[in-house]
Amino acid sequence: MAAERTANVTWSGSLLEGSGTIDSVGSGAFGPLPVTWAARTEQPNGLTSPEELIAAAHASCFSMALSHALAQAGSPPDRLETSATVTFVPGTGITSSALTVRGAVPGLDEDAFRAAAEDAKVNCPVSKALASVPEITLDASLLG
Amino acid sequence: MPRIVREAEVAWEGTTARGAGVVSAASSGAFELRVTLASRIGDPEGKTSPEELIAAAHASCFVSSLGSELARADTPPERLRVRCTITMDQIETGDHRIVGSHLVATGSAPGADAEGFARAAEAADAGCPISALIRASAAVTVEATLKEEGER
Repeated sequence: MAAERTANVTWSGSLLEGSGTIDSVGSGAFGPLPVTWAARTEQPNGLTSPEELIAAAHASCFSMALSHALAQAGSPPDRLETSATVTFVPGTGITSSALTVRGAVPGLDEDAFRAAAEDAKVNCPVSKALASVPEITLDASLLG
Repeated sequence: MPRIVREAEVAWEGTTARGAGVVSAASSGAFELRVTLASRIGDPEGKTSPEELIAAAHASCFVSSLGSELARADTPPERLRVRCTITMDQIETGDHRIVGSHLVATGSAPGADAEGFARAAEAADAGCPISALIRASAAVTVEATLKEEGER
């Protein structure tokens, strides 16, 4: 079954001086969220950006894929703490997404956790959509 | 050119089927949102999903590129609206993949004609880094319509 998700934005003015708003999304979960070029490329000053939204998409997709894989293997996680850091170079594009995950997974050893995380990194739908990003890295370990 | 870094965090508890996560904008602090697998695939029930976050990323990237292209053509926009729909579907292997991003742009730009607006939309698609990203693995389609002055 296909899942469709939508977002609506408005913009006024030029790229450098103008500003936009992510007015609404189909789920109603967020919006309005303002966006500007200055906040995207300099200090965020509380404003999100396309790259931060991609980081949020990647971290959440990866977390779901990893929890699924762990549950399938008989060791569901108590907790996963994931971050994704996206690097953007204007004129070049998104050059990397760095995933970090720390997991509390009863009954699983470090190697098995790393292997499951590596598999989730390769196969989650957002990783597949980011296939053209030159560098997708993973740092995975169990919470001590 | 400077490297721009943006970070998001997720705390996930439990299995995919029953568990839930909270995704937060670590760089800006602009949002903190619940996600679950059920609401990602089925009825969103007020919850966002990775695909909706990508729709927001693509729409906000494309709209600023379009504004920039119109300004470059000496027809800066008064107001632009962009709607982005991301489709995720199951492929032959049974895996889910993002298969398409559809952008619908409307706007008013004094001095621009329909052709100029369409040209700017094409250039915006070519220049928007998120379009380039998604196009590598899925279809990106753009529909652009200039609103006449006075139209809303």
